Amino acid sequence: MSGQQPSDEPTGSSEPSNERDSIDGSPANSRGRHLLVDALRRQRLGLLMGMGAALGWTAFRVTVPRLIQLGIDRGIRGTDPLWRWSLFIAIAGMFSGIFLGLRRYTAFRNARRVEARTRDRLFAHIQRLHIAYHDVTATGELMSRANTDLQQFQNVVTMVPITTGNALIVVAVAVVMLLTDPVLALLALIGLPLVNLLGKKFSEKLHPAVLAVQKESAELAGVVEETVAGMRVVKGFGAEGVQAEKLVTEADDVYRESIRVSRIRARYLPGIELVPNVGLVIVLAYGGQLVIDDQLTIGQLVGFNLYVLMLIQPLRMLGMVVAQWQRAIAAGDRIAEVLDTAPVIVDPSHPTALPEATRTSPVGRIEFNHVHFGYAGGSGPPVLTDFHLTINAGESVAIVGPTGCGKSTVARLAPRFYDVDDGSILLDGIDLRELERRELRRAISLVFEDTFLFSGTIRENIAFADPDASMDDVRQAATLAGARDFIEDFELGFDTQLGERGLSLSGGQRQRISIARSLLANPRVLILDDATSAVDPTKEHEIRDAMQEVMAKRTTIVIAHRAATISLADRVVVLDEGRIVAEGTHSDLLATNERYREILAASDAGESDDTPVPAGAS
Amino acid sequence: MGWLQGGVTEEDRLDLTATGAVLARTARLAAPYRRLGIRAFFLLVAWTGTILAGPFLVRRALDDGIRVGDSGVLFESVVAYLAAALLGYVLYRSAIVTLASVGESFLRDMRIRVFDRLLRQALGFYDRNKSGVLVSRMTSDIDSLSELVQFGLLMFTGALLQLIGTIVALGFLSGRLLLVCLISVPIVALASVKFQRDSNRAYLVVRDRIGLTLSALQEGIAGVRIVQAFGREELEASRFSRTNDSLYRSHMDSVKVAAWYLPIIEMAGTITTAAAIGIGGWWVRSGELSIGTVVAFVLLLQGMFEPVQQLSQLFNLVQSATASLSKLYELIDEPIEVPDPDEPQSLSPAGEIDVSNLSFSYGDGPRVLSNVDLTVGAGERIAFVGPTGAGKSTLAKLIARLYDPSEGSISFDGVDLRSATGRELRDRVLVVPQEGHLFTGTVADNIRIAKPDASDDEVRDALDRIGVLGRIEGFENGLHTEVREGGARLSAGERQLVSLARAALADPAVLVLDEATSSLDPGTELIVEGALEELMTDRTVIAIAHRLSTSQRCDRVAVIDEGGIAEIGTHDDLVAAGGHYAALFDAWQRGQP
Ligand SMILES: Nc1ncnc2c1ncn2[C@@H]1O[C@H](COP(=O)(O)OP(=O)(O)OP(=O)(O)O)[C@@H](O)[C@H]1O
Ligand SMILES: Nc1ncnc2c1ncn2[C@@H]1O[C@H](COP(=O)(O)OP(=O)(O)OP(=O)(O)O)[C@@H](O)[C@H]1O
Ligand SMILES: [Mg+2]
Repeated sequence: MSGQQPSDEPTGSSEPSNERDSIDGSPANSRGRHLLVDALRRQRLGLLMGMGAALGWTAFRVTVPRLIQLGIDRGIRGTDPLWRWSLFIAIAGMFSGIFLGLRRYTAFRNARRVEARTRDRLFAHIQRLHIAYHDVTATGELMSRANTDLQQFQNVVTMVPITTGNALIVVAVAVVMLLTDPVLALLALIGLPLVNLLGKKFSEKLHPAVLAVQKESAELAGVVEETVAGMRVVKGFGAEGVQAEKLVTEADDVYRESIRVSRIRARYLPGIELVPNVGLVIVLAYGGQLVIDDQLTIGQLVGFNLYVLMLIQPLRMLGMVVAQWQRAIAAGDRIAEVLDTAPVIVDPSHPTALPEATRTSPVGRIEFNHVHFGYAGGSGPPVLTDFHLTINAGESVAIVGPTGCGKSTVARLAPRFYDVDDGSILLDGIDLRELERRELRRAISLVFEDTFLFSGTIRENIAFADPDASMDDVRQAATLAGARDFIEDFELGFDTQLGERGLSLSGGQRQRISIARSLLANPRVLILDDATSAVDPTKEHEIRDAMQEVMAKRTTIVIAHRAATISLADRVVVLDEGRIVAEGTHSDLLATNERYREILAASDAGESDDTPVPAGAS
Repeated sequence: MGWLQGGVTEEDRLDLTATGAVLARTARLAAPYRRLGIRAFFLLVAWTGTILAGPFLVRRALDDGIRVGDSGVLFESVVAYLAAALLGYVLYRSAIVTLASVGESFLRDMRIRVFDRLLRQALGFYDRNKSGVLVSRMTSDIDSLSELVQFGLLMFTGALLQLIGTIVALGFLSGRLLLVCLISVPIVALASVKFQRDSNRAYLVVRDRIGLTLSALQEGIAGVRIVQAFGREELEASRFSRTNDSLYRSHMDSVKVAAWYLPIIEMAGTITTAAAIGIGGWWVRSGELSIGTVVAFVLLLQGMFEPVQQLSQLFNLVQSATASLSKLYELIDEPIEVPDPDEPQSLSPAGEIDVSNLSFSYGDGPRVLSNVDLTVGAGERIAFVGPTGAGKSTLAKLIARLYDPSEGSISFDGVDLRSATGRELRDRVLVVPQEGHLFTGTVADNIRIAKPDASDDEVRDALDRIGVLGRIEGFENGLHTEVREGGARLSAGERQLVSLARAALADPAVLVLDEATSSLDPGTELIVEGALEELMTDRTVIAIAHRLSTSQRCDRVAVIDEGGIAEIGTHDDLVAAGGHYAALFDAWQRGQP
């Protein structure tokens, strides 16, 4: 997003932006065109005004050289009162100025409106798109859709009134010149289409080169961002040299591409300047001879000169407009691609409501019915195979398993971040796919293994599910999550700001705030995905007490590696390579299940209480 | 929260002395390209000359040729005009290339210089500076410079020369008529100053709002899982819409500023032309001026107001580029906290670590460690345990010289860490942090980070040595699986395994594991630790872990509490002694299977 004031006439130098692949109007562009046409249609009133202003501007602008010509011939060389022509010129100038301002204002207003509206749409859509989409789409890519691509796209809206004005000027000037002296007009105009042609060529050549510069700059920025974000790793492993080398490579690439851009500029810009100058030379040579031969007045000669000057800019711009249009369509196409991606996880057309809790039938029963699942829409390797598990209302279940066995995947399926490939998941007897997402996600709340906090206050973060929650509710949720004490130790307490992903808190503190965030939603089912891993052993019992209270009130799924946490659950499910391999209470499993002991690195049953585990055991 | 853009506000306005200092320094830094720069300048001056020659030649053609009917003079002028145009073509062409090569070379140097500086800064620097701001130095600040280099500089210098040249030429043609034309100067000057000020203000607001919008966008995308988990999609969209709308309004403010300024300049141009025709024409009638002079005037005037307008628009660009430069210089000037020694001593391949009378605080914060004495023998395995915030990680980071002690010293085999080079120290001592930050790229790329020239086989070997090769090879593309942004393709434990494999590949003399296995299931942890132990026989391992199963397996345990070593000894001795550790271990045991 360039904040720089773009000049009224986006010449070759007002940089277009981003991005890869097809810049030319290939057939796939119809979506982009559709988006553009749609945007223009919404702005038709503004566009009409802009074109009206352009018409006014043209009319007065074209009059000026004509008035100068008459001023010279009738005023200076003739006998008319000079002040009259001066006045006319000044008045025409005033009006053309006013229309210029009007045209600029409407042109930019239309464009910025289109930009703002489309960005709103994009953001809202991105928020709704399924997680599987986000898994494979880099943040930076979506950022450039809503930023550089959009910039490109809105640019063309600006172009509409400006191009209208330019086209009108070219036609009007050509007509006036032809009427004055057809031969001289032809001679003067003959070279000018070359300006148009050069402008077009220039734009076509420049654009891919500028894209290349932007691509390289983005790669350079990527290296910088990653290095700074991962500075602890870079320092810890002494990878400074590796990163420095990466940067030199990128800096060299940027340099090379930038020089290529300036070569293209050097090849076309002087030519674009030269051609009209040659036109002026021709006007002077042939026109001068005509004046000598008394077939043309001096004023007309000067007028011709001024008209040729007046044509340069519009012709150059008209040459570029085609390429700009194509680019906007290509950008629009990329934007439309995001907008047209239908969210996969959608609300059913006739959602079923969740049953309310009654005294006889508590709620929060969740059933995994022979679930099969793999990432990448099932095309990846299977992660869960025939996962079958029923958790009763109010029950707490721990899922235990080795790294990468699919525990977090189970946790992500329950709030329907992904749909199962086969089988089904039911909440209180209703298939998740028949529930409204909002209701479902209020009912099932997941505490993620990597905590993400938003910038804002601690209170805002805890009250994320319900921004209007009272301070009491927030405090209570924090208390339950064992976060209240340390929060109140901060100078600003709950109003403490969390910046840049809340990195100023310790891992354990962030985990507890994110637990509080889920508790505030008061869900039927709470899922804790390794949410206490960063808690130190001295706090173990505090967390234990807190957890006990939390688990007592609702259905809970706990994913944990610590026996202390696991043993709180009513039941333990052992997951291995995406299958349930055993089920039972913690102590039963310890006593009977070899795999379970292996996973928890527990020594053989019976001895576990007092014998320290020898290194490399089991 | 405009950190994405580096918080652009009043600091973008520099006073004159500061600007002078920035320019002088830039000139020094650009010294290698001085001759090219001077050449570019003279090329531009000559090019401006060829542009201004046109109207003069028209005047000569009119006065001495056309009016007196002399085709010869007309022909001469035409040929001269053509020659000037062709010369202008050549000059302009080489000016563009020369100027770009100076500017881009300077930028390339600048990028490398700033990044090198960033890499040489110690972690303390990153504690103090928000990463968003640091990144924006290398991105938006350098971008605003490159915008200037890519076209602003050429346009700015060109416009300035053309403006000056035109005024000189007008004065040369007729001082009297120039005075008449100056009637528009006060208006133009006032309007330009006002425009410049307003548009700068509007521009800063726009930049700020862009920063806000981009960070809202970024956060909305990065946090989309949380947003959806709490059903806040619509709320977030409407919140974003407000930020976006304020950006729209700031854009419109800046459009308005330009929308009144441009017409004024255009009007001033035409009114000046009208004056030249009116009054100049009067003088032509009275025989005091030639018609050619008036025509040349009119023609020159056409080319005079565009530069004015360009200059006032480019002024912002120049100003923000200067501000960016000054911020970059500030960054380069920041002293390095953990510098390499002037005369480095070399480190032996292995040795004992000796911490003596060490005290430390972060910046001017409270003491985190005080008077710590500790000796870790070569080949020893020691565990640091203790409550959160006790200073375990801090001590570990000091041993790896990620920070320098405030007091006291740390030595490796008798050599103070401060007398060794960072490079050599890092070959000896490695830290595996808890969050094994993954970089975009494949699993293998990520493991190679500490040893970039390692072959795939060596990488495989490293994974094998920590006992997890099978898991990684089980991915569809094995070692060459893309881990995606932040390692999103991997499970939490798998990310830590990759991080551990990095250490196994580098194979240092001293390995610091700072909760590097916290996301692993205990079974895998046991395998990895067992494997590391074998791998690290004769090597020193410092392990920080909240799971006391790890400390049980170590030779010695140091309990760190309240900034010092509360207890130290073997696991068995400490348990028997019945102190801190015994209590801690007891609590831990009770939770165990
Ligand atoms: N977004 C994803 N796309 C493709 N594969 C994935 C994705 N997320 C996880 N996987 C793979 O799916 C498998 C299960 O991952 P999951 O995160 O469920 O493991 P986990 O049991 O939670 O492990 P951990 O204890 O390490 O967190 C792993 O092999 C992992 O590599
Ligand atoms: N970069 C930093 N800047 C300022 N203070 C810090 C920084 N890192 C840690 N601290 C503070 O120093 C103290 C010791 O922190 P340290 O990380 O060494 O503790 P720890 O014992 O490793 O704790 P944990 O078990 O939570 O990792 C804490 O009070 C912490 O808040
Ligand atoms: Mg997981």
